[in-house]
Amino acid sequence: MKTIIEPFRIKSVEPLLFTTKEQRKELLQKAFYNPFLLHADDVMIDLLTDSGTSAMSSAQWAGIMLGDESYAGSKSFYHFESTIQQLTGMPLVIPTHQGRASEKILFSIVGGKGKYIVSNTLFDTTRANIEYSGAEGVDFLCEEGKHPSIPAPFKGNMDVEAFEKFIQEKGAANIPLCMVTVTNNSGGGQPVSMANIKAVKAVCSKYSIPLFIDACRFAENCYFIKLREEGYSDKSVESIAHELFSYADGCTMSAKKDAFANIGGFLAMYNVELAKQCRNLLVITEGFPTYGGLAGRDLEAIAIGLNEVMDEHYLQYRIRSIEYLTEKLVAAGVPVMQPAGGHAVYLDAKTFLPHVPVDQYPGQALIGALYVEGGIRSVEIGSLMFGKYDADGKLIPAMMELVRLAIPRRVYTQSHIDYVAEVILEVFEKRNQIRGLEIVEEAPALRHFTAKLKPL
Amino acid sequence: MKNIRHSWAEPYKIKMVELLTMTTAAQRKKALVAAGYNTFLLKSEQVYIDLLTDSGTSAMSDRQWAGMMLGDEAYAGSRNFYHLEEVVQQTYGYKYLVPTHQGRGAENILSKVLIKKGDIIPGNMYFTTTRLHQELAGGKFEDVIIDEAHNPESEFPFKGNIDLDKLDRLVKKYGAKRIPYVSMATSVNMAGGQPISMANLKALRAYTKRHGIKVIHDMTRVAENAYFIKEREKGYKDKSIRQIVKEICSYTDGATMSAKKDALVNIGGFLAVNDWDVFEEARNLVVVYEGLHTYGGLAGRDMEAMAIGIGESVDDDHIRARVGQVIYLGQKMIEYDIPIVRPIGGHGIFVDAKKFLPHIPQEQYPAQTLAAEIYLDSGVRTMERGVVSAGRKADGSNYYPKLELVRFTIPRRVYTQAHMDVIAESTARVYQNRDKIKGLKMIYEPKYLRFFQARFEKA
Repeated sequence: MKTIIEPFRIKSVEPLLFTTKEQRKELLQKAFYNPFLLHADDVMIDLLTDSGTSAMSSAQWAGIMLGDESYAGSKSFYHFESTIQQLTGMPLVIPTHQGRASEKILFSIVGGKGKYIVSNTLFDTTRANIEYSGAEGVDFLCEEGKHPSIPAPFKGNMDVEAFEKFIQEKGAANIPLCMVTVTNNSGGGQPVSMANIKAVKAVCSKYSIPLFIDACRFAENCYFIKLREEGYSDKSVESIAHELFSYADGCTMSAKKDAFANIGGFLAMYNVELAKQCRNLLVITEGFPTYGGLAGRDLEAIAIGLNEVMDEHYLQYRIRSIEYLTEKLVAAGVPVMQPAGGHAVYLDAKTFLPHVPVDQYPGQALIGALYVEGGIRSVEIGSLMFGKYDADGKLIPAMMELVRLAIPRRVYTQSHIDYVAEVILEVFEKRNQIRGLEIVEEAPALRHFTAKLKPL
Repeated sequence: MKNIRHSWAEPYKIKMVELLTMTTAAQRKKALVAAGYNTFLLKSEQVYIDLLTDSGTSAMSDRQWAGMMLGDEAYAGSRNFYHLEEVVQQTYGYKYLVPTHQGRGAENILSKVLIKKGDIIPGNMYFTTTRLHQELAGGKFEDVIIDEAHNPESEFPFKGNIDLDKLDRLVKKYGAKRIPYVSMATSVNMAGGQPISMANLKALRAYTKRHGIKVIHDMTRVAENAYFIKEREKGYKDKSIRQIVKEICSYTDGATMSAKKDALVNIGGFLAVNDWDVFEEARNLVVVYEGLHTYGGLAGRDMEAMAIGIGESVDDDHIRARVGQVIYLGQKMIEYDIPIVRPIGGHGIFVDAKKFLPHIPQEQYPAQTLAAEIYLDSGVRTMERGVVSAGRKADGSNYYPKLELVRFTIPRRVYTQAHMDVIAESTARVYQNRDKIKGLKMIYEPKYLRFFQARFEKA
C-alpha cells in the first residue's frame, strides 16, 4: 500500500474562517506587511509555526484534566521529571514556561562578554538570548547545508573541522558551550547525523567544552537517522533518541514542538552546580522549580506527548506529509530546499524572486503574496529575521533568504496541503509582479516579530 | 448579639472533584525531614489540605473550562488575546495590555522598563518577587506603608495604606526624579492581606501628580481589596465590586497582575499601562523573556480562561463568599485564642508566630518552625512569611522583619467549611502543645528567594 494514513482520527475540530482576496489585501496592509501582526482569525491556513500549534491527543487532554495545580511538589511535575529522565538519561530536570526561557537561563549563566557559543545553526530566540548576555553566537554549518537545492541526507551537520579550528583560534576557555540544534530549524529543518554528533562530542571532550542539544525536534531528527544512516534501520526511535542524548551534557527543549504541547519547555543536565544556578534564576523569572511557570496540567500534557512522538507510525506520517508537499512543488519547478525537512517546507526566495534584491527582503515579499493569494500565513527566515547593519547602516544579509511553511502537527489534512500547493503554484506563475519591501519601523532585538514594512 | 454570622454560602455547586490522600503521623514525620523542614519542598501528595498559596490553585468554573476548549493556539494574533485585551480594558480601564506567563514575568519587564540604576521605589510593604525585580533592575525598595501595618494587633481597617509623610520624606531626600513610580499593592500580602482605602489612594494620586511620579498597581488581589472598601469605607456600600475595582485602577498609571489569584486561573499574568511609550518598550522586551506580545508565553486557552475569570472575580456574590470563608476560619482561630493578624485579611489567615512561640528567637525561625509543626499534626500545608522570606540585604546581613507570620492561604472555591474546621482544630492542637516545640537552623541557603528552596534541621 502506497498511501500512508494518519495513525489517528479527529476527535475535536476548530472551524476555519474564510476571507476574500480583496479583504486579505487590506488586512495585510493594515498589518504593515508583517504576518506576525495579522489576527489569527484572518488566516485560513496558518503555517507561521509548528510551535505550540499541535493538536493534542485525547490522552493529553485527559492529562490536562489530571493536572495537579499545587504550587510546590505537584504530582504532575514528578511525572514530567521521570519521563524526561528516562528519555534523556539526565537526572536534573528544570521546567520552564517555554524554550526561550530555558535558553535565557542557560546563557545568562554560561554566556557573557568575550564568550562564544558555537552551534550548527542557532535559532532566532537562541541567538537573541546569547547576544543579550553579551556573548557571540557562531554557526558552523556544513557546506552542503548552505545550498538549498543540493540534496544531501544530513544537511544539519556541523562542520567539525571549522569548529576545531575556531577553538584553537579563540581558546577553549572562551567557549563555554557548544549547542547542536536538532533538527536544524533555520537551515531548513534538516537533520544531524549520529556520526556528526559523535564527532562534535569528540571535539568537545578534547577541549572540555560541554555539549548541549537544542532538542525541540529530537524525534523527527531520530527518525531521519533511522531512515538514512547506516546501522540504524533496525533500531527503534526511542533507542536512537537515547543514544543521541547520551552524547550530550545537557539539553534545552521547547515542548511546543515534538512534545505536542501548546506551552512549555525544559532544561535537563548532569551538572549539579549548574542546575543549582539555573534554579536560582528560575525562581526569579519563571516560577518555583516544580512548576517553572507552567500550570500542572501542562506538565502532564508534555509528559504524555513526549512518549507519543516516538511512535514510528506517527513519524512516518509526519515526515511523509512534508515530503508530499515538497514533491508537488519540485515537480512544478518551484525552488524549494531539498531534501524535505522534518517540520516545514522552505521556499528559496532568492531564486523564487530573482528580481527582488536582498535588501528589499524577498522572503517577506513572498509571504505577503502567499497570504493575499490564499490566506496562507508563513514566515520569513532570511534577512528580516537574521540581518544586521554594518557601521554605515548598510544591511548585512543573512546567508539564505527562505520562506518557511511550517506544518503544525496533526492539524491539517491532505486536502489542506493540496490547497497550499495550489496557492504556491499560482503565486509562482505571477512571481514577476511581486515587489520588494522596506522597513519603516523595527525593534532593536528580534525585529521580525513586530517590524512594520511597506512595499517599494 | 456578638458574632452573628453572615452566611457566606458559596454561589456555586461542585462540578468536578479531585481526590485527596490521607497520611499517617509517621509518614508525615518522614516526609518533613526529607523536605528539610521546608513546606515548599513537600510533595503535593503528602499534603492533605494545601494552604501553601492561593496562587494558581483556584478551582476554575465550568465556563472557564469551556473557554479552555476554545483556545486559539495561533502563535500570532490569537483571538483569545483580543478577548483578554477587551476584558482588561473594560474591567480595569487600562489602555494597553502585554500578557505574561505569570505575575513575576510582568514585574521583570516593568522593572526593566521603568527603573534606572540608583532609583528609589517606595511601596506599601515589600513583596518577595516584586522587590527582587526592583533590585535586579538597579533600584532600591523603600517601605512607606503606615506603621499600623507592622503591628499584628492593630485593628485599623486599612492597614495597607501608604503613609504620605514617609513618601514625602523620600521625595525630599532623593528628589522626585529618582523615584520613577510608587509600587502600590492592593490587599497587601506581606501585611496579612490588608486593604488600602480609596481615600488614601486619592491622596496618593494627588500627591504623585504634583511631583510627576507614576503609580504602578500590584493588582493581584484588587477585587478582595474592593470588597473591604465596600464593607468599611464611607460612601461605597451601594457600589458594586466592579465599580470599585475600576475606580481603584483609575488612580494608577499601570499595573502588574498575577492572574493566578483574583482572576481564578492556574497560570497567567499581564502588564497593563496607559502610557504608549512604556507599552512599546515592554512589548519589545516581552518577546525576549516571555513570548510574542499576543501570547506572552501563555497557551491561547489560558488567556481565554483568564478573560472569563476576570469577569467572575468582580462579581459581588463571588467575592463575599470568598472573603466570608476566610473570615469564618479566622474567627474559629480567634475562638481558640490563637494569635492572628487583625483584622482578618482577604486571602488568608496569618498566625503571629512570635506570639505563638515566644520561647523561640527569630534567629531560629519561629514561623518556619510553626509551619512544620502544623504539617506534622494534620497534613495541613502552610508557609512561612517572616525572616526566611525577607532574605538578605545588599550587604549580606539578614532582614529582620517585625512580622514573623505563618500564612494560611485559602485557595479560591476549592475547600469546604468542613476543611476550614479541620484547619482550625489542628492549629489549636499545636497551640496547646506549643511549649515543647523547638526551633530550626538553616543548612542550605539559595542565593535568591531563599524561602522556596532553603533546607533546615532541628536546632
